[in-house]
Amino acid sequence: MLSMFKSKMAEYGPDSGGRTKGLMMVKPIVYGNTARYFGKKREEDGHTHSWSVYVKPFKNEDMSVFVKKIEFKLHETYANPVRVVTKPPYEITETGWGEFEVIIKIYFNDPNERPVTLYHFLKLFQTDTNIMLGKKTLVSEHHEELIFQDPTQMMQTMLNSTRQITLGPWKHETDFAEREQKTLEKIGNARKKIRLEIADLKERLKGNKQTIQMFKEEIRKLEETEQVETET
Amino acid sequence: MATTSDVRDILELSGPSGQEGEGSTPRENIMKTKKVKKLSDTPTFKRPEGMHREVYALLFSDNNSTYFRDAPPIIPSASNQGYRTLKAKLGRSKVRPWKFMPFTNPARKDGAIFNHWRRVADEGKDYPFARFNKSVQVPIYSEQEYQLHLHEEGWTRPETDHLFGLCRKFDLRWFVIHDRYDHDQFKKRSIEDLKERYYNICSKLTKIRAPPGQEPKVYVFDADHERRRKEQLDRLFNRTPEQVKEEEYLNQELKKIEMRKKEREKKTQDLQKLITAADSSDARRSERKSTKKKLLTKEKRESSGSVDIPTGIKFPDFKQAGVSLRSQRMKLPSSVGQKKVKAIEQLLEELGIDLYPMPTEEICREFNELRSDMVFLYDLKLAYANCEFELQTLRHRFEALAPGKMPLTVLPTTAGPSTSGAAPAESEESPSRKKASDIIDVVSTGPSTPQRKRRVSAADPGSAIKKTKKL
Repeated sequence: MLSMFKSKMAEYGPDSGGRTKGLMMVKPIVYGNTARYFGKKREEDGHTHSWSVYVKPFKNEDMSVFVKKIEFKLHETYANPVRVVTKPPYEITETGWGEFEVIIKIYFNDPNERPVTLYHFLKLFQTDTNIMLGKKTLVSEHHEELIFQDPTQMMQTMLNSTRQITLGPWKHETDFAEREQKTLEKIGNARKKIRLEIADLKERLKGNKQTIQMFKEEIRKLEETEQVETET
Repeated sequence: MATTSDVRDILELSGPSGQEGEGSTPRENIMKTKKVKKLSDTPTFKRPEGMHREVYALLFSDNNSTYFRDAPPIIPSASNQGYRTLKAKLGRSKVRPWKFMPFTNPARKDGAIFNHWRRVADEGKDYPFARFNKSVQVPIYSEQEYQLHLHEEGWTRPETDHLFGLCRKFDLRWFVIHDRYDHDQFKKRSIEDLKERYYNICSKLTKIRAPPGQEPKVYVFDADHERRRKEQLDRLFNRTPEQVKEEEYLNQELKKIEMRKKEREKKTQDLQKLITAADSSDARRSERKSTKKKLLTKEKRESSGSVDIPTGIKFPDFKQAGVSLRSQRMKLPSSVGQKKVKAIEQLLEELGIDLYPMPTEEICREFNELRSDMVFLYDLKLAYANCEFELQTLRHRFEALAPGKMPLTVLPTTAGPSTSGAAPAESEESPSRKKASDIIDVVSTGPSTPQRKRRVSAADPGSAIKKTKKL
């Protein structure tokens, strides 16, 4: 991998072959954690859960082609809190007793592309009884998209040359397609509602403005007549 | 009579009191007498603006005004219990007598007898100050020891003896020793030289006399350091005024240079920040532009006086090269005010939409447009409230000019809300169906969420139930 990377560097030069203006490439990913309750508190260190925090490609593809490494920054109380993973699966498995924010930093093979930072709040506890009892695994994961705006030549080739990571089916715990569909539906409905109200309010505003105009004219007229009366 | 009338006045029993017998004290009468009193009391000299009330009062007591004629005295005059009645009681025991008596000082070796005053009770006791007479143990060396160990270049046996004699005599008071040193017979020596010789001998003697295999504690006198220290002090003392001035000047210059250096560093840091900020996002720039635009529109609004057309949110267009996250494009630009952000959040919550929905391209676009519409609605609502207010004032003016002649032609266009006045939404809406515009509370200022929530729940019990169900 490294030798390939080095040869690529030589191939494209220090600017990685220059950027292509107006091109946008997207790589969807999934990040989050799974957690499982031991069923009781562990005697020696008080830990209660085992968990894994991870970054996965959304589609079945090998991210190591364009990702150099992924850093997971755990809570300071862990030994070596900054864990670095250089090849898939990008995953850290640990045990613990508390939730905290994991800082995930993705570095790319192209030195001209800056790293991207994700924040994930490690979930351990949930109200679902099965999860609470440790019979089921808790999953808290998010969909995210890496957007490569005006990628370099080198990055383009790498992004385009990803291969399948497994020959089997590639599935996620969360049904993201359904989630997207539902979210879109909700937003769509909300937009319709807001639009209607905007139209309604606009109408009322227009009416009010007209009334104001009329009032103004009436008042002007009244004031004029009053002036005439006082003068006579 | 005055008290009863006052009570009546307080209880507002003006009418019946007149009829009940005391016919001379109806309310108007009291008022009259009060007015008269006031007139007579009004001082001729009016308090100038800015003068303190207390100062003014002082002035007027001098003028013998009726107001301050009997001001309380500052010092209390006669009282029943004066200071004379109190007798100082100092000490309860009997006076102990003193006696002039002779005494000997044990610190003296000559046994001289002097006299002094002392309490009779203390007669025969030791002289109490004798215990402060501490003498130093100056070591004594034998001939053999001197010959074997204590030789030193520049020092002879007689001179060393002389030095030790003085040390014993004056208890190591070095300045006295130096003063009494026989500089004629021996060399001219400084205090440091004397000290060095003395302490060197002392340390050597302790080393020699210590039992073998034991490291004794030795006092080390660093004569060179002491000499340098004194030389330095001498130099500092012997500076000329010009030199002192120059030093001060140089110190000031140094301070100035350091300050300038700090300033420069700060500036470079700021610059660095600016550069990185400019690098990281085009967004900032477009944001600034949009705020500028907003400012312009605000100015326009103020100049024209009419209600402007709201625009919603202007999201920055991400054209910056590099890697970014989709979710970053859903962040509200900082040009959106805190109140609007709150309103958006409240609306989203009410509509059951995640504050941070799953970031895909389509959702991102739709979500941003939705929130832009929300802000647009917010602005419209604001404009509507202004309009409503203007209409209200106009209506009042019209009413004042031509009472009861409200032109009917005016009313139908604004139907319900305008007639119901300040709170149109709450009275209008049925509790089950609530409009988003009602959630946006334009009138309330600042973070008044609890109030708003109360209003919402009061107007709509159904939504409260819904909320609890959601939870």
